[in-house]
Amino acid sequence: MSLALQIRDLHASVGSVEILRGVDLDIGFGEVHAVMGPNGSGKSTLCHVLTGKDGYEVSGSALLDGTEVLGLEVDERARLGLLQAFQYPVEIPGVKLSELLREAAEEWGADPEATLTRARELAERLGATEFLDRSVNDDLSGGEKKRSEILQMAVLRPKAALLDEIDSGLDIDAVREVAAAVEEMRGPDLGVLLITHYSRILRYLRADRIHVMMDGRIVCSGGPELADELEAEGYEGLRERLGLQPEPTPSERRPSDFFTDTPFDF
Amino acid sequence: MLALNATTVEVLNRDAPEPLARRRLEAFDLYREIPPPSDTDEAWRYVDLDVDFDTLALPEEPGQPLKPGPFVSAIGDAAGRVVVVDGYTVSVDGGDTVRIGRGAERWERGAVPSLVDPSVDKFAAAGFAFGGDGVFVGVPAGAVEVRPVVVELQATAGGTISFPEVTVEVGENAEANVVVVYRSPDGVDAVVAPLLGLDVAQGARLRFTTVQLLGDATVLVAHERARLARDATLRVGEAGLGGSTARLDLGVRLEGDGSSAEVVGLYFGEGTQVLDYRMVIDHVGRSTSSDVLLKGAVEDHAQSVFTGLLRIAPTAARTSAFETNRNLVLSDGAKAHSVPNLEILCDDVVCGHGSSVGPLDAEHLYYLMSRGLSRDRAERLLVHGFFEEVIERLPSDAMADPLRREVDERFGAAQAAGRLG
Repeated sequence: MSLALQIRDLHASVGSVEILRGVDLDIGFGEVHAVMGPNGSGKSTLCHVLTGKDGYEVSGSALLDGTEVLGLEVDERARLGLLQAFQYPVEIPGVKLSELLREAAEEWGADPEATLTRARELAERLGATEFLDRSVNDDLSGGEKKRSEILQMAVLRPKAALLDEIDSGLDIDAVREVAAAVEEMRGPDLGVLLITHYSRILRYLRADRIHVMMDGRIVCSGGPELADELEAEGYEGLRERLGLQPEPTPSERRPSDFFTDTPFDF
Repeated sequence: MLALNATTVEVLNRDAPEPLARRRLEAFDLYREIPPPSDTDEAWRYVDLDVDFDTLALPEEPGQPLKPGPFVSAIGDAAGRVVVVDGYTVSVDGGDTVRIGRGAERWERGAVPSLVDPSVDKFAAAGFAFGGDGVFVGVPAGAVEVRPVVVELQATAGGTISFPEVTVEVGENAEANVVVVYRSPDGVDAVVAPLLGLDVAQGARLRFTTVQLLGDATVLVAHERARLARDATLRVGEAGLGGSTARLDLGVRLEGDGSSAEVVGLYFGEGTQVLDYRMVIDHVGRSTSSDVLLKGAVEDHAQSVFTGLLRIAPTAARTSAFETNRNLVLSDGAKAHSVPNLEILCDDVVCGHGSSVGPLDAEHLYYLMSRGLSRDRAERLLVHGFFEEVIERLPSDAMADPLRREVDERFGAAQAAGRLG
C-alpha cells in the first residue's frame, strides 16, 4: 500500500545555495508527522518545493499516494491531493473564500453546492462561519488566517496536508484552536506534515513521529518524546549530541570564510 | 446631413426659443476660435483623437432606436425612461415624483444654464453651438425617488456627431437616482459628445451612474460637471467598456459646506481602445469630502489614461479627499497611464492619493493555484475580485450583475484568444 507522502533524496537550491540536501521522509495515511528545526534549516523550503513554488532547482522524488508530483504544476499537485496551509497566507481582496471554494470544487470535479454546504458545516465547527463570506484572508487576525487555512484543507480533503508553521505568531488560545482543528481533520485518508519551530503546538496535537531538520537534512527522528528532549536541550544541544558541525548560513559568513571556502592556488 | 457651420446654426435657430438661439450664436464664435485637440495640449497628451470637424455632420433626424440590451433590461422598476437617438430625444416615459422632459422643450420655458464651460474644448463649444436637445430631470425639493431614471444615449448613424445634453437638478433635501447608458452598434463611426450637468441642492442626494457600451468605431467625448450645495451628497458611478476612444472629462465642485462626493469607476479596454479619464474634484466649502476610486484593466493593444486632480481651495478647511487609480495591464502591448495629482491650498485637510499599474499579482495567482485552480481559472477569479471593490460600491445595484458578466466575458475572450501576457 502506498504512503500519503514518500520523499526520497530531495534536494533544492536557489541559485548556487543548496537549501535541501537530501531529505527522506515517509508519511503514512492516518499519520501526523512534525518536522522541527531552527530558523533557516530548510523546513519552509520543504513545503514550498513540495507545493511547487517557482524559483527552486529541485531533484529527487516526492510520491503522493504513489504518484510523482515533482515537475507537475502547482494546481495539478493540489488536484492530486497535496495542499499546503501557508505560514503567511496572502490577502486577496474582492475574492470571497466561498467563491474560492466553489471554483476549486468545480475545478476538482466536485459538486460546488455540496462543497459549500460542507464548508458551512465545517466552518461552524471551527468557529469560522463569517470567513466564508469575506474576502480571502482579508482583515483576518493571525489566528483567524490559520483557521481559514485549516478550513480550506478540511473542505478540500487532501491526501497529504503540509502545515507550514500554522502555530507561528499565535497566542496560546489560538494555538489550541488550530491544533484542535488539525486533530479534527486527522483520518485514515490523510497524512499530515506539520512544520513547526516550537514544541508548543505538540502539547495539543499528537504527532506520531517527530523529525528534526538541520542544514537541509533530517538529522534525527523519533516518537513524541523527541519534542520533550528538544525542549530540554535545545537545537544547539542536539547538534552537539549528534556531533554536527554548525553550518553558517550565507548571510552570516564573514569575509574570511570565503578564503577558507575557496583556497587560493598559488 | 448638416455640416458644422454658420448655415446649420441658422437652420437650427429658425424655430428655436430665443435663449437657445442666443447660446448657439455665442458658442459658434467660440467653436470657430478653438482649435481641435492636439497631442501637444497637456489635456490630450495621451490621446491621439482622429476627429475631423469639417467632415462630421449633424444627423437631420434620429435613426431607429436600438432594442434594449442586457443593461437596460436589468433595471426593473424605473421612475422614468428616456431614449435619445443621434442627439434627438425620441421618447420620454414616466416622471411622477420626478419631472422628466425633453431638453428642447425645457428651453421654451427659459434659459437652461449648463454647468459645463463651453470654452473647455472644441467639443464643448460645438455642443453649445449645435446641441440643444436631450433630457431635463428635475426633482422638486423634498421629493424622494429611489427608482432610477434611465436615460439611453444612442448613436446609429456613421459620420455624424451628436451632442445630447443631460441636465439633472435635484432640489433641496430631495433624492434621485439616474442611470445613463451609452450604446451604438459596432462599426458606426459616429462621435458622441454629451454635456452632462448635475446640480445638487442643499441637503439633496443624487446617485448618477453612466454605463458606456458604445460600438467599436464610435468616439465618445463626454463632459460631466457636478455642483454640490451645502450638505449635498453625490455618488457617481462609471463603467467604461466600449468605444474606439472614449473620454470622460468629469468635474465635481464641492461648493457648499459639508458636501460630499464619491466617484467609483471601472473600465476594461480591449483591441486598440483608448479609455481616457480626466477627473477634477474641487473642494471649495468647509468640511467637504471626496473619494475617487477608479479601477481598470487593459489587454491587447488597449490604453487607459487617468489624470486626476484634487484641488483644495484656501476656503476648504477640514476637507478630506482621496483618489485612487489601480490598473491591471494584462498584455504586453497594452498600456495604462496613471497620473493622480493634488493641489492643496489649505492646511487643515486630510488628503491622499494612490496609483498602481501592473500585471496580476503573482503571489495571489500562486495561492489560488495551490488550491487546485487552473491558471486560467485563477486569473479569471482575480480579475473578478479586482473589480468587485468598485462593483459593490456602484450607485446602481442593478448594473452590478451585468457588469460582472461583461468583465468575465471580456477576460474569458482574451484568455481564449491567447492575448494575455
